Amino acid sequence: MKLTGIGASEGVAVGPAFVPATGRPEPERDRITEDEVERELQRFREAVETVAGNLSGTADRLRTSGSEEEAGIFEFHVEMAEDPELASAVEERVGNLESPEAAVLAVGEEFAAEYAAMDDEYMAARADDVRDVTGQISAQLMGRGISAFEALRTPSVVLSQSLAPSDTARIQKGMALGFVTAEGSKTSHVSIMARSMGIPAVVGVGPELERVLGAQTVAVDGGEGYVIADPNADTVAEFERMSGALAEERVALDEYRHVEASTREGRRIEVAANLGSASEADDALKWGAEGVGLFRTEFLFMERDDLPSEDEQYEAYSAVARAFGKKPVIIRTLDVGGDKDLPGVEQGTEENPFLGWRGIRMSLDTPELFEPQLRAILRAAVHGNLKVMFPMVADIGELEAAKAILQECRRELESEGMAVGEVETGVMIETPAAAVCAGELAEQSAFFSIGTNDLVQYTLAADRGNERLRRLQSADHPAVLALIRRTCEAASAAGIQVGVCGEAAGEPEMIPRLVELGVTELSMPAPQIPRAKMVISEL
Amino acid sequence: MAERETTVGPEEGIHGRPAARFVKAAKGFSSQVVIVKGDREVNAKSVLKITGLARKGDKVTIRAEGEDAEQAVETLAELIAADEH
Repeated sequence: MKLTGIGASEGVAVGPAFVPATGRPEPERDRITEDEVERELQRFREAVETVAGNLSGTADRLRTSGSEEEAGIFEFHVEMAEDPELASAVEERVGNLESPEAAVLAVGEEFAAEYAAMDDEYMAARADDVRDVTGQISAQLMGRGISAFEALRTPSVVLSQSLAPSDTARIQKGMALGFVTAEGSKTSHVSIMARSMGIPAVVGVGPELERVLGAQTVAVDGGEGYVIADPNADTVAEFERMSGALAEERVALDEYRHVEASTREGRRIEVAANLGSASEADDALKWGAEGVGLFRTEFLFMERDDLPSEDEQYEAYSAVARAFGKKPVIIRTLDVGGDKDLPGVEQGTEENPFLGWRGIRMSLDTPELFEPQLRAILRAAVHGNLKVMFPMVADIGELEAAKAILQECRRELESEGMAVGEVETGVMIETPAAAVCAGELAEQSAFFSIGTNDLVQYTLAADRGNERLRRLQSADHPAVLALIRRTCEAASAAGIQVGVCGEAAGEPEMIPRLVELGVTELSMPAPQIPRAKMVISEL
Repeated sequence: MAERETTVGPEEGIHGRPAARFVKAAKGFSSQVVIVKGDREVNAKSVLKITGLARKGDKVTIRAEGEDAEQAVETLAELIAADEH
């Protein structure tokens, strides 16, 4: 029997079915007596402390093993367990002679119902969170932990109504082959956990799940999003073959991490990483990055109430320059607009921030923002191979103005006796205007980098956050491809490098097109690097 | 009493990790702190109460009463406006 759901974590698995006996704990008593109140309140506080302590321990463990996102889930749970409003609501009920194990469930349910009523995928997931945490406190009060998951000793496919982070964290390493849940979406915690653990998962199967709970064996395809209960021998063999092939592919990809990728004809394509902060540099090098095709500088400017100083920026740029040594690092100057607040810069309210005062437009108008950034880049360049790239350029005037300011900064630094390095300047090609004027821009640039995400959005006039416009959100559109071709031809005529740093750069189906159009560098999130190198090597 | 209006920054609104971070920061102040959105006013030290209160781009007011009210309002307003990365 086949069930379909949402493919939440890629991969396939086949194995024995495991149905944990969980569900909400049933309170042992509903009521207490007047003289028990003080003691029960004390027990409630102790249970909260124990549960919060356990959750906090799990968060620490996940953080140490590098699972930052999952650690965040448990930190959120710690705050829920220790919530002052939860405590006061439970205390009030206990004061009215309700048992604490019943009270904490009831209060949890009130919050859960409130979130569920918001009719928002994220809030529905938060309802599961609060039920999970209050369920743990209640179980603790009754002297039982939920141990079904810990007890699992045979590698199995786990089938359940829903799976809480505390459930998945309790499963011993290697014991979960796959997850199948009736509830959930791609953004549920179970989906996030499954992806980070590399375990296939199908969620949101619906009430149909009931019908397969009795199965002996279950096959899961987490990419396509379906489940087969008690598959026949042929299907089992097919799943085992696919699962083996995927494992082999993972091993094969590892071999590509540190190769210098060339096509069969011998065209060398550099594969670089997109970085959001200097702390990601070491990881990127491990994945095989041959440089940084896009170093975003926005992180330096966010979550603070003043602008970062030149020295502070110098430190950050120096760190990434040192980490990459001779390998090129392209630093993009600040690219924010009215969709994000910037401390100390009056942006005003814009109706269309993506068509507004952003990127180079803002930088050119705001010397107190632009100059310290350029000075910091020039100074940091002595520590490595830094290049600077200007975002949102729409005409040659902007490039000339930006280069003039860079020159002026260099002169100032030199007259101040500061050490400055060589810095090539390039343009991010992300407005259709820049692509159309690529010939002119190429004459004054050392390199181009095509930002396909914005180029697609601006060329096709399709907001990239709008789900209804999926059809118009790919670089694989004749108009976009024509602009990429034009950019590559201009770069080639001027003898300069041309890279791509949008999502398309890491998509296996787009890489052959981009290489064919004449792109010489691809920059992507670091984990995509090995696959990209493999795809290039097979061209 | 101190108060400041600000705009919610995180892409998914107030919940999850940004909410946990916010509440942790709020608990660091001795003042009583509330977040006000429209006619709703909730305890800023309660992750359960602030969860789902506002979406990205919503205007909220942070209000505090106590010894470190000024500082609480300033820090928390910045935090809620910050985008998650």
